Amino acid sequence: MHIPDGFLDVYWVGATYIVTIGYFAYLSLSHQLVLDSSRVSLVTTLAAAIFAAQMLNWPLPGGTSLHLLGGALAGIILGPSYGSVTLALVLLVQALVFHDGGLTTLGANILNMGIVAVLVGYYVFKYALRISGKVSRGSIFMAGLLAGWMSVFIAGVVCGVEIGLSPQFPYGVEVTIPVMGGWHFILGIVEGIITGFVLSHPHARNPELIVALKEAGG
Amino acid sequence: MRAWAVILFLVIISPVFGVILADRVGYHEPLDVAAEKLGLKEVDIGYHTPFEDYTFPGVGPVPGYILAGLIGVGLIAVLGEVLKRVVAK
Repeated sequence: MHIPDGFLDVYWVGATYIVTIGYFAYLSLSHQLVLDSSRVSLVTTLAAAIFAAQMLNWPLPGGTSLHLLGGALAGIILGPSYGSVTLALVLLVQALVFHDGGLTTLGANILNMGIVAVLVGYYVFKYALRISGKVSRGSIFMAGLLAGWMSVFIAGVVCGVEIGLSPQFPYGVEVTIPVMGGWHFILGIVEGIITGFVLSHPHARNPELIVALKEAGG
Repeated sequence: MRAWAVILFLVIISPVFGVILADRVGYHEPLDVAAEKLGLKEVDIGYHTPFEDYTFPGVGPVPGYILAGLIGVGLIAVLGEVLKRVVAK
């Protein structure tokens, strides 16, 4: 879902940079983002793990592939604020060093994958677990599956809105949202399975290690 | 330390998926497939990245992919260490 240079017009480039920078400024000013040494270690380790996991593309017949995006996972494990910082770090390195995602579209990519996907994943997991009424391996897996799936789907829809509302392109949102949303609705299932699997792993099910699990009453 | 060992393992096996199997199916990013339907084209804005598309200059695709992965992971670790020193002050 890394948008390259040229897919968004100048207004969307500016707007997405402003929203993204504004979001992190708000987190920082409202003390929801207080970095200390141990927190930086957690963010760095998870960012490195997501970076490495994203290199594992699972090719599909027909010429596309699936790989973990990691937004839901980061938001659930570290909470939405630090989850967003984790994804922002990954996306920054990918754009500046590997040309994976454009420089002009970095604001949009962080907004879609580092903010929208993280927030959707975090809240879907938290409320799905709360609705299920119990914290078991099965309920954590199902909540993780739903969180990962919806995070990729909604981020894909937002991406479709950004592209569709760029006036320089011939297609409007009535075309771009179904195309982007439809693709990512299907791709999100695999994100959900990986997210559910990682979170329900016996070593990961410690509420002290997973912020969303603790906040959901685990 | 165990987490970093797992990360290293993921980077070492990554070319199996990111290079070898990707070549077999003619891999494109999912967004590229959607973009093709929408007629979107990438624009070169003239900035250079040293290891574009996870390659390493002068090295074959498989070892290059591993080297690129190690560079990415190493860079994230270095940025983390720098940030740790900044917040410790």
